[in-house]
Amino acid sequence: MTSLSPAEFALSFFREPATLTVRVCGELDYDTSEDLVDAVVARLEEGPPPREVRLDFGALTWIDSSGLAALLMIHRRTDSAGAVLRLENRPGFLERLLHVTNVLEHLTAPASGGRG
Amino acid sequence: MTVARPSAAGLADRLWQAVVQGDERSAAGLLHDALADGTDEETLLLEVIAPVQEKVGVEWAADRITVAQEHAATAINERVVASLAHRRPGRPTGAPGRGRVTVSCVDGEWHAFPARLVAEVLTLHGWRVDFLGAQTPTPHLVAHLHHTGPDAVLLSGSIPTHLPTAHAAITACQAVGVPVLAGGRAFGPDGRYARTLRADRWAADARGAVSALDAGLGRPDASATRQQLDDLPHLADQEYTMVAQSRAQLVKQTLVDLENRFPALRSYSDFQRERTAEDIAHIVDFLATALYVDDAELFTSFLTWTADILGARHVPAHSLVASLDLLSGQLRDFPRAGKLLHEGVAALGEHSDRPVPGPDSHV
Amino acid sequence: MVGCARRVPPFVSVSRGSSARPPDVDPRVGATWTEAPCPVLVVDRYGGLVRINGAARALLPDAECGDRLHERVPSWLWGAHQRMGEGPHDGSLGTATGRINGRFVEAHPTPVGEGEVVWWLIDETDRRLAETALSNARLRSEILSEVSSALLSTLNVPRCTEVAASMAAEHLAEAAVLVAPPQGRRHPLTYARRGGPVTQVTRQVDVSGVPGLAEALQGFPPVPARWIDPGAIPDWVIPDGFSGAVGSVIVTPLPGHGVPAGALILLRSSTEQVFTEGEEVFARLFAARAGAALSAARLYTEQATVTATLMQELLPPRLTGVHGVEYAGGYRAAKDHERVGGDFYDVHPGADPSQETLVVLGDVAGKGLDAAVLTGKIRNTLHALLPLAGNHQRVLDLLNGALLTSRHTRFATLVLASVRRRGGQVRLRLTSAGHLPPLITRADGTVEEVATQGTLVGALPTVKARTVETVLSPGETCLLYTDGITEARGGPLGDELFGEHRLRRAFGESAGIPAEAVVERVQMLVSGWLGTGRHDDMAAVAISAPATGALTLVGGHAEAGGHTGGPGSRRIT
Repeated sequence: MTSLSPAEFALSFFREPATLTVRVCGELDYDTSEDLVDAVVARLEEGPPPREVRLDFGALTWIDSSGLAALLMIHRRTDSAGAVLRLENRPGFLERLLHVTNVLEHLTAPASGGRG
Repeated sequence: MTVARPSAAGLADRLWQAVVQGDERSAAGLLHDALADGTDEETLLLEVIAPVQEKVGVEWAADRITVAQEHAATAINERVVASLAHRRPGRPTGAPGRGRVTVSCVDGEWHAFPARLVAEVLTLHGWRVDFLGAQTPTPHLVAHLHHTGPDAVLLSGSIPTHLPTAHAAITACQAVGVPVLAGGRAFGPDGRYARTLRADRWAADARGAVSALDAGLGRPDASATRQQLDDLPHLADQEYTMVAQSRAQLVKQTLVDLENRFPALRSYSDFQRERTAEDIAHIVDFLATALYVDDAELFTSFLTWTADILGARHVPAHSLVASLDLLSGQLRDFPRAGKLLHEGVAALGEHSDRPVPGPDSHV
Repeated sequence: MVGCARRVPPFVSVSRGSSARPPDVDPRVGATWTEAPCPVLVVDRYGGLVRINGAARALLPDAECGDRLHERVPSWLWGAHQRMGEGPHDGSLGTATGRINGRFVEAHPTPVGEGEVVWWLIDETDRRLAETALSNARLRSEILSEVSSALLSTLNVPRCTEVAASMAAEHLAEAAVLVAPPQGRRHPLTYARRGGPVTQVTRQVDVSGVPGLAEALQGFPPVPARWIDPGAIPDWVIPDGFSGAVGSVIVTPLPGHGVPAGALILLRSSTEQVFTEGEEVFARLFAARAGAALSAARLYTEQATVTATLMQELLPPRLTGVHGVEYAGGYRAAKDHERVGGDFYDVHPGADPSQETLVVLGDVAGKGLDAAVLTGKIRNTLHALLPLAGNHQRVLDLLNGALLTSRHTRFATLVLASVRRRGGQVRLRLTSAGHLPPLITRADGTVEEVATQGTLVGALPTVKARTVETVLSPGETCLLYTDGITEARGGPLGDELFGEHRLRRAFGESAGIPAEAVVERVQMLVSGWLGTGRHDDMAAVAISAPATGALTLVGGHAEAGGHTGGPGSRRIT
């Protein structure tokens, strides 16, 4: 029997002095995107902000428009904290979504706020 | 006066020519002319347009018209019906004191045309009709009943696999005290599944619906709520539940087994493979529905119909028998399902001995 | 009453003390029957009263020894005594029951030889009353339960009122009138007569003419029935067909949720027994149930009306032909019990055929009512920006500015299409703002993707978009759609996306088909693909250059239609 249930949504965090890495696993959608924003914002607020926030999408299985809204919100927060956002190991469906909505350049631009 | 008036059959022939050529202007023109010449609207709806729409289905099944032609023809028929209705509002609406009824399709049912005809004919007979159209979710239907408090619901279904959903709708309407008149092909040629699902009445066609409503349906006892098992005690064996829930797995496994049995299938394109998977999925859906209503004929008539469709497209039907066989293997622990599959194989065997229905159609 | 026989005192009672035997004791009968707590009569074979004890004297004060029995007791007991002489009998066979001087009595005979019979009379009056009360209570609780089920099954106010009135007439009175709170100056009145039809009218009536009615409608406690003069009931209260004069009346409030749900008037004619106090209490219990059900129905109706009114603005419009171009739209909300969601579309007709018509289709991030409210804001803003629709980039800049907020990044993606018919052809200017590119079916069945691309709106400080112009020849269609369609998950294997390739294939078969049939076919295929699976909001709009022979502007009323098929579902192998 093949399991039809999608991979469970899960986040794992790796903090190095200058970098916060968040591994996103499963579906980033209407039900889960708020979890991602809350978790990343909480980590940004504890201690000195990192220079770089890496979202690792290697284990992402799906993203919808709510998930993209979450990425835009995270970008606002990293930007004002002076950190650069990196979207790594992007699967094809994420690449396509970023292309159609024309936001990749915006999301990964050098930070404008914070320490500059 | 009646000398020049064309017969309904003559009009139907001309309408068929127009719709199959996608000629909406001619289609509408000839019906509006007939109306102006004194043919009454009910005759146009039931003896001209309805048979033409019937023929659209028959001709598609026989692969004599394309999907595009079928859709264009259906769309034109619908628009013509709408244009006849559009012309009507100036007229007084029939006898006073007729009640209000709701006409709806079963949730998931896209074939709204038969229901549309019933709605129009009832309107002509003076009923106040709320037509909810295709694909009406049952919660919307029930909310509508609370809102309008009609005398009856006319529930239309064309595809039998929606019968379990229809059952839920029937019970829900009755639980709010509104009687249900079931109609449409899904309920069986003699309305047997309407009885199985405890609809208050069944009507074979629009005129049947009119006379059933005229006779009055009476309110169901809303305080006596029923559940699935009350009407269909055989569901306690869980065979329906199991087959319906494991549909995807059954289809996948059958597809794999089929490829092992006929290695040629492995060279199928994705498109062909998907069609095969869809065929198997339909078999499973009809099997589940036959288990639900506990009636073998629902399953066997689907299979023989499918064999005819395949035959018309010169696709050999042996994969149909093989699929039934493979499903039997997977459903070994389910005696009712096993029996249905066995009867399916037998029905296909008998059917293949008969000549394929000819292209004659009755318009 | 079989079991009563067991309570017959033993025939030969044990003597309590032979020394104290009273002088009139008959030794054949027993020792202490004169002191028995129940009345005892000894009657000889000729019907003469031979002995009578103290309890019997209390029951039959006129009876004396030596009297003829038939002159002192009711005929039922005399008859029973006569039957005693007719055949073989045992203790229970000759038992008779009946009334004596207002009491309910069971008479048990015991033959004692020489044709004499001892009649033991047992007063069953209190037990009878208790049993009747119990059975009434059971009946009433059954009625109340039935009433509740029937009333709660409907949330339709007129229907609920009808059920309440007809059940009141059936179980409580000969006729019932349910007076609802006034709508303006007039009261909705529901009349029910036992065995007759229920009629509903809304009339201006003087409620103060019925004692206690005005008070009941304000929620004051009911006036006792005995205070109401049946003769003073005004004619408007009496239902058609009510026979004879009114004999007794109950007026009771229908207590609602905080506010009265109306009042119930119960009527009995003068030929019937007047309402008892017990019946008044029961009427109040009934009224409590009916009032609660009516209030729930009113509350639901009000909520549903409010929702429908607010929703009206958010529902997708019904599309039709405009200036020689056909438009059709289809919408299905993510949750089937909701009607609105995050997808939207509009067609804003040009002022005249020479002006462009603006078509918008879009999708806001999120689902349900929150998303729907944002679609409302976008649709209103775009409506206001119509005069600028000649420049799509300008419209998008302004829309983006209007939506941008620091509070969230809930964005929208959309496609703008400006449409104008020139001769037989339809000219299109198409701009995507972060949305899936539109598709076009050409007359030869090829499907093109329109190469417009741009930034989503509402989340970034600036947006860029590229507008593409194209032309539709007769029979060609441009399809705008949201990702709910291509991302519908299902199919025969249960877990596949519908995908763009299936949409393109289906759409490619649509050349020459009227716009609404194109949309309907797409919706139908996607629904079939989904089965009962979960899905996102789905929307599609088709813009068609009418094929030759098409009758435009005919189908202004065409609802989503259907198709004919065989007895099975539609598919092609």
